[in-house]
This record gives sequence, C-alpha cells and structure tokens, in this order.
Amino acid sequence: MLKIDDLHVAVGDAEIIKGLTLEVPAGEVHAIMGPNGSGKSTLSYTVAGRDGYEATAGAVTLEGDNIIDLDPDERAAKGLFLSFQHPMEIPGVQTMNFIRTAMNAQRKARDEEEISAADFIKLVREKAKLVGLDDAKLKRPFNVGFSGGEKKRMEMLQLAMFEPRFAIMDETDSGLDIDALKMVGDVVNALRGPDRGFLVITHYQRLLEYIRPDRVHVLAGGRIVKSGGPSLAAELEKSGYEQFIEAA
Amino acid sequence: MTNATGDTSAFANAIETDYRNRSATNAMQSAAFVRYARLGLPNRRVEGWKWSDFNAALRGPAAANDAAAPETIPPSPFAALEPLEIQIVDGRVLSPDAAKLDGFEFGVIEPGGSDPDFDGHSLVALNIALTRRAFGYRVEKGANIERPILIRHINTKPGHVFSQVLGRGDEGSRSTIIETFEGRAVFHSAVHHLSVYRNAELSRYVLNDTDAGAVTHGFFGAMVGEGARFRQTSLSTGGRLCRHETHLLYPAAGGFSDVASAALVAGDRHSDFTTQVRFRAPGGEARQLHKGVASGKARNVFQGKFHVERAAQKTDAKMTANALLLSEGAEANHKPELEIYADDVECAHGSTVGALDDDALFYLRQRGLSASAARALLIEAFAGEVVDSIDNEGVRNVFATRVAAWLEDQQ
Repeated sequence: MLKIDDLHVAVGDAEIIKGLTLEVPAGEVHAIMGPNGSGKSTLSYTVAGRDGYEATAGAVTLEGDNIIDLDPDERAAKGLFLSFQHPMEIPGVQTMNFIRTAMNAQRKARDEEEISAADFIKLVREKAKLVGLDDAKLKRPFNVGFSGGEKKRMEMLQLAMFEPRFAIMDETDSGLDIDALKMVGDVVNALRGPDRGFLVITHYQRLLEYIRPDRVHVLAGGRIVKSGGPSLAAELEKSGYEQFIEAA
Repeated sequence: MTNATGDTSAFANAIETDYRNRSATNAMQSAAFVRYARLGLPNRRVEGWKWSDFNAALRGPAAANDAAAPETIPPSPFAALEPLEIQIVDGRVLSPDAAKLDGFEFGVIEPGGSDPDFDGHSLVALNIALTRRAFGYRVEKGANIERPILIRHINTKPGHVFSQVLGRGDEGSRSTIIETFEGRAVFHSAVHHLSVYRNAELSRYVLNDTDAGAVTHGFFGAMVGEGARFRQTSLSTGGRLCRHETHLLYPAAGGFSDVASAALVAGDRHSDFTTQVRFRAPGGEARQLHKGVASGKARNVFQGKFHVERAAQKTDAKMTANALLLSEGAEANHKPELEIYADDVECAHGSTVGALDDDALFYLRQRGLSASAARALLIEAFAGEVVDSIDNEGVRNVFATRVAAWLEDQQ
C-alpha cells in the first residue's frame, strides 16, 4: 500500500530524513515512535506533499503509484489523509462549507459524483456525533476558538467523513484526555479494513492501547532504527529513546 | 491657453472650459472655483494624498477606453431587492422613479455642498463649482423605509463628471441607501452630504465597480446626531485611482457608527479608503474595519483618523485595518491615526499586512482543494469579515457574489 524507499528529505539546507525505508501493506496499522526532532513530522509533511519538504532522493508510492511529484490535493484525491499535529484555525471559513467543498473536490478528481447537500448534512451530523462534536461547532468558522481536544475531534470528523485509503495520524494523541483517546481509537478501528492502511505517529504508547498496531517502528536521526511487533511500544515506554538517539 | 490654475494640462483646460461655458454660476460656485484654482489638484506632496496622487492621475495621459458604451443601462445587481432606483448618468440625475414611497421625499435639486470644514479640499471645491443639479432626499421623521433606495452613478463616456447627493434622515427614521459607482473610464467626482438626526438609523452600502481606467473620487460627509446610528459597508474593486472618503461628525452625544470597507484590487488598480471621524460631544461610539486584498501591481490605501475633541468624554472608538498581499508587486499603505484631546476615552487602532498563510493553504490542499481553490477560499474568508457583517441579507448576497466573481476573474 504505502511504500517508502530510501527516502531522503531536506528542509532548507538541513537533511532531516536520511534514507528511510518503510512499507505499510493494505489492511495494516503501523506505528512510528521516536524522540523529539527525529523527523516524524517531516516524514508526514513529505508524504503529504508540503512545499519546502523536498525529497532529494528515494521514492514514495501509494498503491504502486509514485506520488512524490504530485500536488498535495492530488495526493488527497488518491486517498491520502493527514491528521495534523497542530490543526489550523481558519477564520472566515465555514466548517461545513469547507468540508463539503473538499469532499467534492476529491470526488471530482476521482470522477465520482458529488455529494448532495442533503446527504452531506446527514453524514456530517452522524460523524460529528461519533467524534463528540456538537452541531453548534460545525456552524462556526473552522476550528476558531476550539480547544486543542476539539481540534483533534475535528480531524477525526474529517477522517470519518473522507474514509481515505491511507491515513497518517501525526501525534493525534497529544493533548487528548482518556475519553478522547478512546474516541480516536473507535474512529480508526471502525475504518480498519483490508483495503485501508494507517501510519500512527506518536511519542507515547498510550494511543496504541486503543489502536493496536500490526508493526511498530522506531524513528531516530531520520531513519527507521528498529522495527518490531506491538510489544516494542511497551518496551520503549520502559527504556526510553536514549539508546536510539545515541545509535543514530 | 492660460487658465485659472496656471495648469495647461488637457484636464485643467477641459475643466476650465466647462466652468467658463456655464450659463449661470452662483456666488458659492464662483468662490469654490477660485478655491480650487488656488489649491490645485491634490498631489503626493500633500499630506493625506501621498499614496493617491490625483494630480498625476488626471494630468497624465487618459486611460485607454476600450469598453464600448452600453446601448442600454444594464440592470443593477441590486435589482432583486426591488429598490427605489435613482440613476445619475454622466452626472445627470434622470427623472427618478415615478413611484411614490411613503415617508421618503426626493427630487432633483439645486446643488450645495458648501461646508467650511472642507474648504481646504480642492476636489470638493471643484465639485461644488461644477455640479449642475443634485439629487436630494429626505427620510421623514419616524418613517421606517424598508425598501432600499438605490443611487446608481453610471458613467458611459470619457470625460469628467460631477455629481452631488444631498440627504437627510430625520428624527427616529430608519432607511437603507445603496450607492453604486459603475462604468467606463472617466474622472468622476461624487459628493454626498447626509445628516442623520436624533435617534435615526441609516445604513449606507457602497459598491465601486468601475472600469480599470476610472478615476473616482467619492466624498461622503455625514453628521451623526444624538443617539443616531449610522452603518456603512463598502466594497471596491478599484480603478486607475479610486478614492472613497468618509467624514463623520458627532456634534451631539451618544452617536454610533460602524464603517466597514473591503477592497479587492488586481492588475495595476488602486483603491483608497480614507475616513475621518470627529467627536465633538460625549459618549460617541465608532467601529471601523478595513480589509484590503491586492494582487499584481495593485495598491490598497487605508487612512483612518479618530479626532476626539476635549468635550467628547467617554468616546469609544476602535479601528482595524488588515491587508493581504497576493504578489510581490502588490502594495498596501495604512495610516491609522488617533488625535485625542479628551482624557476619559477608549480609543484603539490596529493594522496588519501579510500574505496568505502557508499553513492554512497546505491544510486546505491536503483536504483536496486545488492551489487556486484554496487561495480563493482564504481570500474570500479574509474579505468575508466585512461582507458577513452586513445585516441586510439581500445586500450581503450581492456583495458576496461580487467577491466570488472577482476571485473567479483572478483564476
């Protein structure tokens, strides 16, 4: 599904990702754990196509298609979703209008029929309930005045609405209480299926108690330095990242 | 040809000829022409005009005027609101709608516009000297006029045009005035004086939708009476040089005004919103918001001034101006000013200039919006604060449609 092969990424003059190789097959959830500054967010921005995060070498393919030269919206239309670590407040942009515009832009790019206003309202209400956002929040400008937790719920609302083929969740757990973590787990687990993949980026093990990963990778110094089964997360929680920082 | 100003440009000669050819000018007009001749056209060396040089714009070569004159006047975008429509075509007030409107008196009247406060304003002096007939209106005491009054300034040919609107909203009345500036390349000087009397409420909406070659000077002066409420929202797509001035005077206690403007300028267009509010009595309140978007080599000017006299204690006035620059060559010039002589007031101003937020752009694109759609959404949101603040739904829709059309033109 998502294959990253010997990826090198420079931000400005600094090389942040230094030969990263990773494959998440369809149907699996992989976790990437790592210390601050290890390149986790750089990886997610690069895969999503953010300007300024240039792949200097290597390849990124989604379902066999090279996506590295695609625009961010083209990657989104191919089914790539990024749950942002720090979701934006966008004053003046009405939440429902934006989500519907985005959904239809993706559908149009895939030659699919646009969602009708009535179907959209029904869907957004259903998913808002699932993520614990009340209707009043949907009528506000996008994320404006939302708490950190509410912004993450808005990310999960969009994940549930878009039903992407592949989702990268960049520290979705940061700033969330136990109830919200459970909600994130519920949304992701409901979407898990043989045609879909997830890459969950986190510092801590606790989110992985709700989203049980198939594989856990340790990212340090811009490379995957260790991979293992779900037990690796618990191991890291005990031993910390120091050994990997030194190794990197 | 030697003329009164000593200026031999084609514009100055045309103005002089126009003035000399008048069959009858009254003493006020003669005096105004003398003032204009003495002051000359405002230029960049004059404070308040350094970013909007009418002297250069008017004396320079006339803009190319490619657009064909419309054979018939197109319907106004506000037509759906079924307004009482007044057309001022090339400066001539056409016989207004025969329909009567209860509580609203109107007609073609003798021009006036003399006000000692503005004696030093040469374009106002020129307007007084050369306007032939004015449109006058009066909202009668206590009248609540729900039907909007639409005043259309339609210019169909090159040359210079002077127009005047003189209005009053009497005590306790409520009304809505829409004023549109439309048409081809021309110099248009429009003066509008209004008095909003005690406890009256008046909303004025201004849409400047002139051609790229247009040089427009809109001068609006209003008296905000005791407990009166005046609201104004303007949208301009600029022109060769378009300046809309709003001068508010609070001679009595407890007046309120909310003045918002949005400018969307592209190419080498220029928009200028200049406002001055003078508080002479206690308890006045004023809100001002300006949002300017400029692309290409366009320029957006905002100048705002609150002048609080000693007697105007408890004045509460806030001014915000935000500019969005979409290209390297675009410019924004802001000059917010406070001049305060009273000691117990709350006055504030804020001003920002910036580009589109890269984080927000990436966020929107990650969700599937193309680069141009993401930019358009953010620009619309930026200007939206002005448009969304319009209470009148019909007017709000027209403004929103105009913003959307402008964004589409930029694609």
